[in-house]
Amino acid sequence: MGDHFSAFSFVDRIHDYIPGARARATFAIPAPLPAFPSCLIAEAVGQLASWIAMAHIEFRGRPVAALALETRFLRDAQPGETLELAVELESCDDDAVAYHGWADIDGARALELIDCLGPMLPLTEFDSPAALRERFGVLCSSGAHEGRFPGIDGFRVEPGALDPGKSATATLHVPDTAPFFRDHFPRRPVFPATLLLNEMIQLALKAERGATDGPLLVPVRMTNVKVRAFTPPGQVLDLHAELVTPNGGMIVASLTARANGRMVATARVDMADR
Amino acid sequence: MQTAITKEEINAVYPTVAETIADALGCEVAEVKPDASLIEDLGAESIDFLDMVFRLERAFKVKIPRGKIVENARGALSEGEFEHKGIVTDTGLAQLKAYLSEVPAERFRTPLKVKDVPRLFTPETFCKLVITAQRQATAAA
Repeated sequence: MGDHFSAFSFVDRIHDYIPGARARATFAIPAPLPAFPSCLIAEAVGQLASWIAMAHIEFRGRPVAALALETRFLRDAQPGETLELAVELESCDDDAVAYHGWADIDGARALELIDCLGPMLPLTEFDSPAALRERFGVLCSSGAHEGRFPGIDGFRVEPGALDPGKSATATLHVPDTAPFFRDHFPRRPVFPATLLLNEMIQLALKAERGATDGPLLVPVRMTNVKVRAFTPPGQVLDLHAELVTPNGGMIVASLTARANGRMVATARVDMADR
Repeated sequence: MQTAITKEEINAVYPTVAETIADALGCEVAEVKPDASLIEDLGAESIDFLDMVFRLERAFKVKIPRGKIVENARGALSEGEFEHKGIVTDTGLAQLKAYLSEVPAERFRTPLKVKDVPRLFTPETFCKLVITAQRQATAAA
């Protein structure tokens, strides 16, 4: 089994499960980790949606990250805390799953995912249907053992041009090998979109921080996330963050990631002094 | 048998459709013209079609079958009547020209491959999708 269901899996136990409709689950963030970025909270909610969507279509397909019209970052998560995950499916068939969801920590909302859509692709391209079916059974009964996630490392971000208060660029070198590729996904390794989006947000913060002496801003909302292509191992991505017209007191940045000139992902992020 | 979609129906939904398409493509709403090719003029890709349908469902509170846009354009024709070995038949082409009445005649290349049909789609095509979905919702109610 190795890294499968460990190196990039963020659901420990599913409870309060209504097939094809909704689920509640938990994920304990391993205490030894140095940090747990908010994008991984979004990943956990998305993975819960993926489990109940795959189960709904009897593991013929799996949803992949594509559209998230709005993500609200409300509270950071710390190692040692437990995410209480919730997902409600709006529609789900062999073509796509539409859903919304959220994560709470100690009863306080940490993150909301609103208006998400994942197209379904044939599951056998990515993973073993039998292994996923068996794992889903474990998650819905005794649950997986906690503390499996070892953290993320192994990819390098090379700083590029910085025009303080206006824009920043960087180059993300996706590694040829990494433990998370064996979980995401065993038969077709794909660099997780949430890790890419996290780096794009960091770049936006860098572009903004270069221009002010005021309080450090944090991302509070991400909109119009669109993942246009898979990022395979070894890919080099050109990241660009450009600050655009402020919106109601927020600093807004437009984010892009390109591979060989072709757009891979786009998003906007709102930053504020939370 | 559904009645033909009228210009008045299209005009009623067009402003919201154009705004939604602009949001999905990240362009100005002024760039969205009713008869523009979404792919060739506005640079839309397949995921943008998914995005537009997803946003239109929310904006109009209707259900639009994803991946069924070509089927919608096919109207009452069966798949066999509409295409043969991936090429749109003469009957299919006549149906497409009637459904996509806003598309200039010179854009209908022959032979027309089924996979190239989305290249013909315009913002007005999406107005028709919305109107069809609204009619189906009304009928169901």
